[in-house]
Amino acid sequence: MITSPATRLVKAIAIVLIVFWSVGPIVLGITTSLSTQREVNAVPTHWVPSHPTAAAYQALLNGSTGQSTGGTVTQGGDFVHAMTNSAMIALGGAALTLIVATMAAYALGRLRFRLSGAVLALLVGTLIIPIFVIVIGLFQIMANAQLIDTKRGLILVFVATQSPLATWLLYTQVRELPHEPEEAALIDGCRRWQAFVRVVVPQMSSGIAAVAAIIVLSIWGEFLIPLLLTSTMNAKPVTVLITEYVGKYTTNYPILAAAGVMALIPPAILALVLNKRITGMLAGSS
Amino acid sequence: MRLRRNREGDRSARETQILGWLFVAPAIVAVGTLILYPLVTGFKESIRSGGILFGEKPGYVGLRNYRDVLHDPTSQSAMRHTVEYVVLAVSLEIALGIAVAVTLHRVFRGRGFVLAVLILPWALPSVVSGVLWRRVFDPDTGLLNSVLLQLHVISQPHIWLAGGHSAILFITIVHVWGVLPLISLIFLAGLQSIPDEVYSASAVDGATPWKQFRHVTLPLLRPSIAIALTVGTLLAISIFDEIYVLNGTALNTRSILIQVYNTTFTEADFAHGTALAFLLAAVTAVFGALYALALRRSTV
Amino acid sequence: MSGTITLESVTKHFPGGVVAVNDLSLEVQPGEFLVLVGPSGCGKTTALRMVAGLEEVTSGLIRINDRVVTRLPPRDRDIAMVFQNYALYAHMTVRSNMAFGLKMARMPKPEIRRRVDEAAAMLGLGDLLNRKPRQLSGGQRQRVAMGRAIVREPAAFLMDEPLSNLDAKLRVEMRGEIIRVQRRIAAPTLYVTHDQTEAMTMGDRVAILRDGVLQQLGTPDDVYDRPVNAFVAGFIGSPSMNLVSATLEREGDGLAVAVAGARIPLPPDAASTWPGLAERTGNPVVVGMRPEDFGRPDGAALTVDVTRLESLGSELVAYLTPTGAADGQLLTARLDRGAGLVQGETAQVTVDPRRLYFFDAETGDAIDVRSAEG
Repeated sequence: MITSPATRLVKAIAIVLIVFWSVGPIVLGITTSLSTQREVNAVPTHWVPSHPTAAAYQALLNGSTGQSTGGTVTQGGDFVHAMTNSAMIALGGAALTLIVATMAAYALGRLRFRLSGAVLALLVGTLIIPIFVIVIGLFQIMANAQLIDTKRGLILVFVATQSPLATWLLYTQVRELPHEPEEAALIDGCRRWQAFVRVVVPQMSSGIAAVAAIIVLSIWGEFLIPLLLTSTMNAKPVTVLITEYVGKYTTNYPILAAAGVMALIPPAILALVLNKRITGMLAGSS
Repeated sequence: MRLRRNREGDRSARETQILGWLFVAPAIVAVGTLILYPLVTGFKESIRSGGILFGEKPGYVGLRNYRDVLHDPTSQSAMRHTVEYVVLAVSLEIALGIAVAVTLHRVFRGRGFVLAVLILPWALPSVVSGVLWRRVFDPDTGLLNSVLLQLHVISQPHIWLAGGHSAILFITIVHVWGVLPLISLIFLAGLQSIPDEVYSASAVDGATPWKQFRHVTLPLLRPSIAIALTVGTLLAISIFDEIYVLNGTALNTRSILIQVYNTTFTEADFAHGTALAFLLAAVTAVFGALYALALRRSTV
Repeated sequence: MSGTITLESVTKHFPGGVVAVNDLSLEVQPGEFLVLVGPSGCGKTTALRMVAGLEEVTSGLIRINDRVVTRLPPRDRDIAMVFQNYALYAHMTVRSNMAFGLKMARMPKPEIRRRVDEAAAMLGLGDLLNRKPRQLSGGQRQRVAMGRAIVREPAAFLMDEPLSNLDAKLRVEMRGEIIRVQRRIAAPTLYVTHDQTEAMTMGDRVAILRDGVLQQLGTPDDVYDRPVNAFVAGFIGSPSMNLVSATLEREGDGLAVAVAGARIPLPPDAASTWPGLAERTGNPVVVGMRPEDFGRPDGAALTVDVTRLESLGSELVAYLTPTGAADGQLLTARLDRGAGLVQGETAQVTVDPRRLYFFDAETGDAIDVRSAEG
């Protein structure tokens, strides 16, 4: 359609605004992380570091003290430990959740057994429950099972909290799949579960990838549950550690920013790489 | 003959039943033990008295805790704040979400890049978003004060997060920053369901782009607006991470969940804390039901 | 509401090098119904959309009523358009759908009401004014789309294959409706279709496009009797004209053509009917024979195998293989019921030599379009 120059201009401005709005704070974080504390605390403050320095990153990664960052970082290697924790918990949690959710989605979407509607409603219903009503009871159960402050414990909790959403997303996928390939496999002599593994799961692969990405992002970003269920660096993820830093290094912006930037790199990369799949799934299931 | 066929059919049907339950079992077990069971425990906690720690006789007290919480002034202000958060957040999200969706609806060069960048705020942990935005709101070194000082809009650095409404507004902005990508995608999907020809027809009929938006786009987006409303409300009503990182448990910005956190963990008052949490859960359940209704109507 | 639609050397390049419309020039006269027809991808819809302002023009000029509109957005062109999928506003009633354009033009309400009622009466929509599109049948939606265009009383009417989504019977009915309405409105109309029957039965004039290039512009009779090249000859008429390779030979004082295993002498006045033929003796040409020109009582005879017969009730369609032909090409003929042919047998079928068409074997251009008396 022929659009007037005015419309095109407005749209162009809007697009630029959208990009700045989305990326601005991140860029700000990056420049801050490469500055020195003195520069940041100067009045008026500096936006772009005159001499970008990686001192803040070094301090966080090595646990070394650096004068330019104005303070020590507690126990060396904490940050790296926290990042590793986050990664293991997110990947482990996502993998287990996917297994649980794919099976459940297949059962509810394909097998259509009696009461499957009720089970689906139950699972989806739990999506509404805010974490807080279950934390006390959850804490007790985890304590009894000696899973407090363990990565395993957190993974199990996340499987429980993420499965409903994952099952729902995969369920909508399963319903749209053609059922002929599975039927062909059954006729060819496969048992139901074999058909599931060999035919249906491959059919769902792109949906599974998208859901996997969404779950990894969700778990990586979890804050409240790990806050309440971890105490030492055994299992503490980077989200909890960062909030501790906010309390500890309130004015040490370079360190805070560096921590923030490093904490956002994995989810950012994941979001950028699997962008199309993720947006497709989010838009489609709404 | 017939008998044998029935048995075959029965077996297949029974197999399906068994397999179905088997496949669903892990999910049910996980949700059952780690969500539903604690839910029951939590509810029991909410109708229990505070016990010796609070100078009370241990035992069950029915709905007393709920009544206490509803009458407690701190809780009440947390509820008021939460309403503010929700109203602000949802209005911003819907207005901006539609604007973003309309801008990104038609293909243009670089659209893929913009879409990729668009979801970044949603992909980041909200705790990290809080850390990033601190740089904007910090009284001494923040971007906002810097710009406003230079433009001479204010004469002295403002402490944004100490005020009443301004604190809530700015925390809401951070929250919206993270939620907007999801809402924009909801509207983008809604726009795609409007056939292109209708825009061509309205253009030929004399409509300017703005009139097209008002008379064609908006009315046909109503189902998406309903979905966005409920999703936005659900997310805003349970706002926690952003507040915690930006302003801790400060009274002027407490939301219901921050209040729950404070009551349960700082004051160790499990009973009242859980009661408040269940109150919120009840309200959330209502909105959840609305969401399900809105979804069903939009797929009709 | 009289006026013209003019395209002057209009060209459209798409990114990637596709030339959808190539140097198209034509003018729709006041009150005229001009049909743009051609196979899919020939550029007819692109051309229409450029006139509507829905597509940018790469080069050339578009005028509506002598006013240059080439770079104007659709809303400033004073046009109305009926779309292939009707493009009705799903959330509005029929009345609001029809009133929308007038509302955009800020017409006073009583005037809007009057026009909508008038158009509704003309199209038989009076009872449906308060319904929504999803409650209407395909034909009704079609009429609402037309009503929406009529009320605007525009300077020009554009229609993009409005009948292609209707079933065959409805299509025939609506053809008449559209013509009737257009006559009353009397605005110049540009109508796009891929169906040559629609083109022939509805158009005052027909413009045939192929790969973005205008092949011929003329009345239905013009393009039927005097096709300017083999493409037009094959496109117009159903079943299509038979196009067969042949050789021209001398026959005494006159000419003959060796085609389909037979030697057909041309009538003595051939030299005046087809002046260009004389110099082509010994050279290959393409001969055109319309299926309906077979079976004339005094024509030349061809020996053929009757490969297949299809009975349409009122007539026969015969698929014939000339026995002497080298390449086994099938000829299509329309014959009377009583033609006496039996499938699988050999027979003699006549063709009228005065109704032959001749085309250059390389370019496809017609060798001297026959004069009107031919």
